[in-house]
Amino acid sequence: MNEEIIELKGLTKRYGYGDTESFALKDFNLTIRRGEFIMIMGPSGCGKTTLLNIIGLLDRATDGEYTLNGENVASISTTRRAKIRAKKIGFVFQNFNLIDNLSILENVALPLVYINRPRTVRLQNASDALARFHLQEKEYYHPSQLSGGQQQRAAIARAIVSDPEIILADEPTGNLDSRASNVVMEELKSIHEEGNTIIMVTHNPALTTYATRVINMLDGQIDTDIKTVADHNLPQPIEKRNKKRKRSRRRRNN
Amino acid sequence: MSTLIRTHIRLARASIHANRTRSFLTCLGIAIGIASIILILSLTGSISRLISDELSSAGADLIVVRPSISKDTVTSVVEELTSSNLYQKSNLAISDVDRIAQIPQVTAVAPIALSVNTITDEDNTVASATVLGTTPDFIDIEPLALRYGTFLSDNNKSNSVVVGHMLSLLLFNTSNPVGRTLTFHGQRFIVVGVLEEITDTINFNNIDYNNTLVMDLGVLSELLGAPQIQQINVRVTSTSALSEVASGITDSLHQNHAGDTNFAVAYGNDLTHPASNLLNIISGMLAIVAGISLVVGGIGIMNIMLVSVAERTHEIGIRKAVGASSRNILMQFMFESVILSLLGGVLGIILGYLFAFLVSVITPFTPYISWEIIAITLLTSLVVGIVFGTYPALKAASKDPIESLKHYR
Repeated sequence: MNEEIIELKGLTKRYGYGDTESFALKDFNLTIRRGEFIMIMGPSGCGKTTLLNIIGLLDRATDGEYTLNGENVASISTTRRAKIRAKKIGFVFQNFNLIDNLSILENVALPLVYINRPRTVRLQNASDALARFHLQEKEYYHPSQLSGGQQQRAAIARAIVSDPEIILADEPTGNLDSRASNVVMEELKSIHEEGNTIIMVTHNPALTTYATRVINMLDGQIDTDIKTVADHNLPQPIEKRNKKRKRSRRRRNN
Repeated sequence: MSTLIRTHIRLARASIHANRTRSFLTCLGIAIGIASIILILSLTGSISRLISDELSSAGADLIVVRPSISKDTVTSVVEELTSSNLYQKSNLAISDVDRIAQIPQVTAVAPIALSVNTITDEDNTVASATVLGTTPDFIDIEPLALRYGTFLSDNNKSNSVVVGHMLSLLLFNTSNPVGRTLTFHGQRFIVVGVLEEITDTINFNNIDYNNTLVMDLGVLSELLGAPQIQQINVRVTSTSALSEVASGITDSLHQNHAGDTNFAVAYGNDLTHPASNLLNIISGMLAIVAGISLVVGGIGIMNIMLVSVAERTHEIGIRKAVGASSRNILMQFMFESVILSLLGGVLGIILGYLFAFLVSVITPFTPYISWEIIAITLLTSLVVGIVFGTYPALKAASKDPIESLKHYR
């Protein structure tokens, strides 16, 4: 059975004080195992995006515990957070969030800049990631020259280029038509099948067929939590990725 | 770390390139400040080089006695410059010259007593010629060349004069008036020599030799009454005797002046001090003015960087989301402002030397280029880039990633 990768305990996010006090998350508890594909659904303002931002270390909870890979990350420094974000977390956004004045290749290589990869390695890895999403001939295009679906695939390539453990997607298909949505979801599915953990926020119930677990949120708390795949049936990290990770870990230790 | 620095430089270059016009105008602000500093330093450098050249051609074995005024403080230099009757206050007398001449190891003593007088010959009158009263030793101390004839000598000094090149033309309409006579203060003198025309206008005695009549100090004092001796130049046998002779001069003048120290004895580097002090004050003040324009240029950089940070808020959000730390963002913007500023510095150095060259075409100055000046100006522009880039960079680094991501143009 896959190990627990994320553990949230009593997580609370409060905005405002006194009369204006409101809670985006209230005593939120969640445990996520490696290899899960979680879809979070719920009405607007129920705290989905806040949850994603806290898991992605972009935001801090007002209260509660957050354990990532066995490390308590609720109160670590901003610099340390940035480092973890660069190495372990990949983001996919609704509006793609590619930098307009960089080429697609440079956009995809961006996370590698902040983990100190040499330029040639960065561009090579980015090129490989783009090839995987059938965008290799668009490497030197700028984001504005691509369609929405292509931009989102480039954004997914960026999210996986540093080989992260968790991929967070905030309504990745929200700005796409159904055909482009399906392409993007197929890509996410193939990433998931390699053993990656994906947490995705969506409004579209049709997409839940891709998930191994569907969480419905209401007013900052879990309303329903349904696992469609048993824990022991979650995809294992494939051999190649495992080796690669071991190799890089060995390199880091040396 | 080095890959990150290379990346920052590449990013800064890309960003500067993407906003070419804006970047150029910002650089220009710095460039103008740096150019004025270069111009000032190059011109003052060329002047002080002229002075030291003059000094070394006069010889290192020279002692100069001046009426005492000059100290090293700024006020005394300003006082010296503003007091019009400085030379009238001279306490040096002919007896001092005689005393100095008696000191062993002194090979030549030449007083300098300048006055402005009317000189006539048969045809022409020159109303304001400089008359230099000195001794025949003068030619041994001052590196003057004679074009025609000889200098004053002990034999002929009572009725002979030497004239400068321009004065000769004005008085006699010829460049070779040797043997002709002229009238000064009712007495007739024979011209025994003509000085070579002098082209560099700056010398440390401050005499325009082209327009000067040189005659014996004793004769001059008989005609005009006791003249004011502005300076006494003393040549000694060797440079090693300088300090000994200098203290000897001080002692004997002390006796002559009844114990008053109203004179100054200078040799070596001290000779150029009054001129260097003046130069330092002027160049310092000019540098302050240039510094102000540099501050204005720096504010220009800050302004543009603030605009750039505001424009790129969304980009900052994305970079932070994919793992950039605040420090990474800080460095990215610092590099951009420093590179802008350095570009301005390089542009300013080129502009400054271009100006200095143009000035040298119409003046006797030659542009003074040294690696120190270039290093100082580059360092200055680096500092300006850092100082004025810090606030915008801090502002960029402190942006909240979530807020920045929402910021969508």
